Amino acid sequence: MAVVKVDKLARSVVEGPSLMTGSIPTRDWMDIPVVFKPGNYAYPTKPNILEYLDSQAGVSFPNAREWNPEDDDWKLPENWKEIIINGLAERLGKFRSLKIFMDCCVRCGACADKCHFFLGTGDPKNMPVLRAELLRSVYRQEFTKAGKILGRMAGAREMTVGVLKEWFMYAYQCTECRRCSVFCPYGIDTAEITMMLRELLHLVGCGINWALEPVANSNRTGNHMGLTPQAFKGNIDFLCEDIENLTGIHIEPSFNRKGAEVLFITPSADVFAEPGLFTCMGYLLLFEAIGLDYTWSTYASEGGNFGLFTSNEMMKKLNGKMYAEAKRLGVKWILGGECGHMWRVVHQYMDTMNGPADFLEVPKSPITGTVFENARSTKMVHISEFTADLIYHNKIKLDKSRNSHVKATFHDSCNPARAMGLLEEPRYILDHVVDNWVEMPENTIREQTFCCGSGTALNTDEIMELRMRSGLPRANAVRYVADKHAVNMLACVCAIDRATLTTLMQYWNPDVEVCGVSELVGNALVIEGEKRADLTEGLRTMVF
Amino acid sequence: MVTGLKETLQSNKKKILSLWIDRTLNSYIASGFFKSSGDRFANPVGVNIREGLTRLFDLLLDKADPKEMLAPLDQVIRIRAVQEFSPSQAVAPILELKWVIRQVLGSGRNKRPSAEELDNFDCDVDRLALLAFDLYSECRELLYKNRVHEIKSGRYILTDSACASALAGNKKTGCAGVETS
Repeated sequence: MAVVKVDKLARSVVEGPSLMTGSIPTRDWMDIPVVFKPGNYAYPTKPNILEYLDSQAGVSFPNAREWNPEDDDWKLPENWKEIIINGLAERLGKFRSLKIFMDCCVRCGACADKCHFFLGTGDPKNMPVLRAELLRSVYRQEFTKAGKILGRMAGAREMTVGVLKEWFMYAYQCTECRRCSVFCPYGIDTAEITMMLRELLHLVGCGINWALEPVANSNRTGNHMGLTPQAFKGNIDFLCEDIENLTGIHIEPSFNRKGAEVLFITPSADVFAEPGLFTCMGYLLLFEAIGLDYTWSTYASEGGNFGLFTSNEMMKKLNGKMYAEAKRLGVKWILGGECGHMWRVVHQYMDTMNGPADFLEVPKSPITGTVFENARSTKMVHISEFTADLIYHNKIKLDKSRNSHVKATFHDSCNPARAMGLLEEPRYILDHVVDNWVEMPENTIREQTFCCGSGTALNTDEIMELRMRSGLPRANAVRYVADKHAVNMLACVCAIDRATLTTLMQYWNPDVEVCGVSELVGNALVIEGEKRADLTEGLRTMVF
Repeated sequence: MVTGLKETLQSNKKKILSLWIDRTLNSYIASGFFKSSGDRFANPVGVNIREGLTRLFDLLLDKADPKEMLAPLDQVIRIRAVQEFSPSQAVAPILELKWVIRQVLGSGRNKRPSAEELDNFDCDVDRLALLAFDLYSECRELLYKNRVHEIKSGRYILTDSACASALAGNKKTGCAGVETS
C-alpha cells in the first residue's frame, strides 16, 4: 500500500519567503519545537485543585506543582519518561481502539484539512493526522519492531521533553469535536487520541486549570461552578420570578424530590449565566405548560462532564453521579437539557462505564405515551427529542409570531450531531417555533458541523486569540447567512456553545446573538392563564 | 515610453494579484491548502484573503473612498489579528503590494509608468496600510473587551465568591479560585 510520508503532507511549497510577512522556511515537522507564549496556551492546573482531586477515590492526579509552560524546566518528576511509556503501554492494553488507531492510519490525508484548528491557524501539526502522529511516533519507537530498528525512517522518535511539550500544546489545540473522524476512511476517532494524550500528560501533572477546576467543583458540590445547593436553588427561584414578571406564570419547581417521575439534568451554565439563563427559562415554562412531574437535583446539578476532557476514570465518576442521584430519588428516567458533551458521554461511554441503568424504566413520555426506544439502555432522553415529540402530538400550543424578532440559523453542536445523531429534532422544533430560519451551507452543518472552537475546556479567556481563529470556520459560515438572509440569531443545543459562540459572534459577526432552541420554544409557548407583557425580545425583554 | 499607470496595472492585474496573494498566503506554514481550495466554507482563510486583496486592488485602481475599502480590508485583517503574527506581520501584506507591483512591472515587456504616478499610487497604498493598522488595533481591543466581558459575565464571580467552604478556608475542599494556603 502506498503510504504517504507525513512530512510530505505537512510541508508546503514556500518560494521566495517574505521577511515582512513572517514566512517560515519549512523543516521536517519533528524538527520544529513548540514555543509557548501568552495567548497560545491555557493556564496549568492550580496545585491545590490537583492535590484535592488526587485525594479522591477512584481517580489519580499525581505530581501537583507550580509550573509554567513558558519555562524551560517544567519540573517534571524524575522518572517522567518511564511514567509516560508505562502509561501508554497500560492504555494500549486496556483500549483496543487505541491500539488500532495507532496502527491503521495510512496517512491518506482525508482528515488533514477538516480540522477547524488547522483551517484557522495553517499550522500543520493541527492536521488531525499529524496531531495523532505526535503520539504515534513515540508508539512506533517503543512498541513496534520497525520503529525500534529503523527509528526516524519508520516515523519513530524518542520520547523527549520536547515531545511532551508538543503534546501539551496540541492536545489542547483539539476540541475533540470529531469532524475529522467523519472523513476518515478507517473511522479513526482522533478525539480519543487527544483524550489519551491528555491522560498521559496528567500522569506527570501537566493539565489545564480550566478543565480540572470544574472537574474538582463537580466532584465536590455537583456542578462546575462550585455552586452550593442553596445557591443553585436560589438561581432557579430567581429565574422563576423573572418568568412570572414576564408571563404571569407562577412556577414552583421542586428540588431533590423523591418519587418524582423524571429527574431533569442540564448544564449548570443554564442556571447562572447568560444567555443560557433564557434557555433554562424555556425549560421551566415548557414543563409548567405540560404539567410534568419532575424534579431538579442540587447534587446532580451539572450535565456537563469535564471528566471527558480529563481521564476516563474521572468521566466515569462524574457520569455515575447522575445515575446515583436518579437511583436515590427513585425517579423513572432522566431528562437531559441542552448540553453537548454530556450526550457524548451518555451515548458513547455510559453503557460500558456505568450502565446499563437497569434500576430505571425505559423512558416513556407521560404526556404523549411515546416510548423512547433509543434510550432503552441509558434511560436518558434529550430535551429536543422530548419537545419534538410533544409538538408532533400537538400537546403544546405555540405562537410563532412571538419569535418575530428572530431570524435564526441553526448550529449543530458537535457532540449531539456527531456523537448521538441528533440532527432532525432541533430542526423540527425550529420549524414550529419561528417563522423563518435558514440553514448554513451544507459542508458546515449536520455531521460536518464546525466546532465553536472552544470545547473540551478550551473556553477560557487567556487563549482568546486561539479560540477566535479556531472558531473562524464556524463564524465564517454564520457570516454568510447573516449577510445573505439577515440572520440575527444563532440557535444551538449546547451550553458551551451558548457561552463561547456569543464571544465568537462578538468578534466576527457582532449583529448575531446566540440562543438555545428551548429559549425559542419558551418564547413561543402559549400557556393557559398567562398574563404576558408585550415581549418584543421574548424572554430577553427587560420588564420593569 | 511612459504610459498611464492604471492601464498598466489593469493589464497586469492577474500577475500582480497572483503574486500578492501568493506571498500573503506564504506567511502560513502549511500554505498549500490555503492557496488551492476555492471553497469559501472549507477554506475561510485562503478564500477571504484572496477575495479581500482582489477587491482592494480594484478599489485602489479606482481611487475609491477609504470607506469602501474597510469591508475588504476587514476580510484580511480581522483574520490576521488573531493569528500568530506580530502586529507588523499582520498588516505587512498591504505594504508588500508596492514591492509586488515593481516586481511585475519590472519583468517582461511592460511599459514603464511615470515615477510621479507610481509615487501617488504608493501613497494610496500607504494610506491603506495605515487604515489596516487602525483596523488591527480595533480587532485587538475587541479581543480584550471580550475577555473582560467573559470574566464579568458570571463564572468568575460565582466561582470565587459564592462558595461557603472556600470562605471557611478548608484546603481539602479544593475550592475554586481561592488560595487557601
